[in-house]
Amino acid sequence: MDKLNSKKILLEQMKLLEGAEFECDEKAILEEYQKQQDNGSSLAIKILSILGGFFATLAFLGFLALAGLYDSESGLLIFGVGFIISAIWLNKVYDKLIIDTFSISIYVIGFALLAFSLLQLHVDENLVATLICLIALSALFITQNYILSFISVLTISGSLLTLIISNDLYHLIHVYIAFHALLLTYVFLSEAKLISLSLKGSKLFNPVRIGLIFSLLLGLVVIGKRDLIPFTQKYIWVSSIVLIALMMYLAHVITRINKVESKKSNLVIYSLSFLILVSTVFSPAITGALAIILLSFLVNYKSGFVIGIISFLYFVSQYYYDLSFTLLTKSIILFSSGIVFLSLYLFVAKNLNAHEKV
Amino acid sequence: MKEKIEREDIHIISRHSSWSEARIDELLKREVYHSKASWHKFLSRFLISLGIGFTTAGIIFFFAYNWADLHKFFKIGLIEGLIVLTTLLVLFSKLRTDFKNILLTGTSILAGVLFAVFGQIYQTGANAYDFFLGWTIFITLWVVISNFAPLWLIYIALINTTLLLYAEQVASHWSEVFLLTLLFIINLLFLTAALFLKRTSGEVKPPAWFTNLLALVCVTYSTIGISGGIFEKTKVPFYLLIAISTLVYGFGIKYGLKMKNGFYLSIIPFSLIIIISALLIKISDDAGMFFVISLFVIASVTLVIKNLISLQKKWIN
Repeated sequence: MDKLNSKKILLEQMKLLEGAEFECDEKAILEEYQKQQDNGSSLAIKILSILGGFFATLAFLGFLALAGLYDSESGLLIFGVGFIISAIWLNKVYDKLIIDTFSISIYVIGFALLAFSLLQLHVDENLVATLICLIALSALFITQNYILSFISVLTISGSLLTLIISNDLYHLIHVYIAFHALLLTYVFLSEAKLISLSLKGSKLFNPVRIGLIFSLLLGLVVIGKRDLIPFTQKYIWVSSIVLIALMMYLAHVITRINKVESKKSNLVIYSLSFLILVSTVFSPAITGALAIILLSFLVNYKSGFVIGIISFLYFVSQYYYDLSFTLLTKSIILFSSGIVFLSLYLFVAKNLNAHEKV
Repeated sequence: MKEKIEREDIHIISRHSSWSEARIDELLKREVYHSKASWHKFLSRFLISLGIGFTTAGIIFFFAYNWADLHKFFKIGLIEGLIVLTTLLVLFSKLRTDFKNILLTGTSILAGVLFAVFGQIYQTGANAYDFFLGWTIFITLWVVISNFAPLWLIYIALINTTLLLYAEQVASHWSEVFLLTLLFIINLLFLTAALFLKRTSGEVKPPAWFTNLLALVCVTYSTIGISGGIFEKTKVPFYLLIAISTLVYGFGIKYGLKMKNGFYLSIIPFSLIIIISALLIKISDDAGMFFVISLFVIASVTLVIKNLISLQKKWIN
């Protein structure tokens, strides 16, 4: 059956279900379905446009380097600004998937040229990073194209990280992580509110959600991989505190969904969860990945879930590979966390079954 | 006919209707978010995987710790005891099949630990290819019996590792293109078998992520092999790789069209785009060519996407 027809039926069902008070602009809805069908973008296509944009950008930068065009700062500056504006304008005017690869390429090349020429002109690094951050932020308000918005979110967090690292303010990375983790949780748990807020907000929801996941991961990689930045591991627990508190809140949300009511069960679940989380106090990256997994499962967001699992596996192996303990200590830590997981499993399995029987 | 409402529908309808925030929230929770039953399923699988994973890892680290005081028979005996224990559990317990599969995967990793400890005691060198070869051979039976996709993945990764190490440590005269051709063919055989099983066997069907991952691995090998081979002195394996890839890519496109699978129709053209770009660099590596390549990549990827979209439109209706 035609997809558009099935959507019409769906809409009729909704009208019946919602009763007389329900008003909708049927024409606009069907138009949007039609547009979406014409642009029907699968994950494969999105990745293809991003990879294509990436390779094209690399080749273009190679061209600039070989041609020696980087000598003319003002030329690069003009091209950079021109490229960024054209990318945004193209997306604003023709919101079609087909131009994505092109507009992504010139958007990213534009930022690269802009940053490069300004640095060549000896503009202050902080000013450049702030400027790029602001441009990307305003792009979000102008066009709500999926991939362009996704890249804008990454550009914003990338420039924030640059500000932190180039000023040697490494401890601010905890603020970065806390900010992104809290924002991510808010976005995931307030889907209804955010999509009903405004048309732009509704369209931005998906790209911002995935963009925030990657931004958080970016911060987690920076602290999860030792010696990536000269950053003392001594205060690494600062990030953990925020993340552990967040995870306990998620545990609370999850027990509510699962209708765990008895005080004893709650107590056991919270204490075992806390025990697991405390064992990761020196690795906020692991806790962060766990938060991504749980949040994504909570709202049934499959891509986020897969990203969470992969990053979880990566951070766990990275952590135990880097850890400066002896192998024996590592073995004990791993073994005992394994046992705690198994006990939580046994408890959850037994309890949820018991509830179901009632 | 009742249509199922999905997240996308809620998003689109909410943009043009009088829905209140509370109503949207209610619908999302009821129609899109996970129910109690799926939480139960997820939590039990997630926790048992983590539990077994961490416990096995703990045991591995315990053995990797070079504790000199224990007698060698004790070390080997301990791991073998564990392997026997877990295998017996898989054979005779009444656990659910998927848990047994996870357990068998843990056991397969323990077999690797056994070889590592053996190598440590008798100084066979822990990184040598024969360590991975032994490990691969001895878990074969479990892999076949369990037919568990993650275990198959580990198995195929082990075969790849064995070959890579063999080429590095023993067969150093192998050219890079030859090695990549060999790896390409081996992974291709697994992929073909998996796709064949998907169509015929009713019981265990390889999941899509498994075949997609294998296809991606194959295409990566052929892409690297051919793009690299372009810059080397051409030899027989290079032509062989080109011949097989041409055939396989053709079949892959045909298969993708037949099965309405956009994945194959994305990775194969993308591989071709990279190969052609490499060819262009081979022809000339001055600035102008890089400019041409950037235009070529944009144009060709756009073309591929355009075709994919029109195909998808056809498939949906």
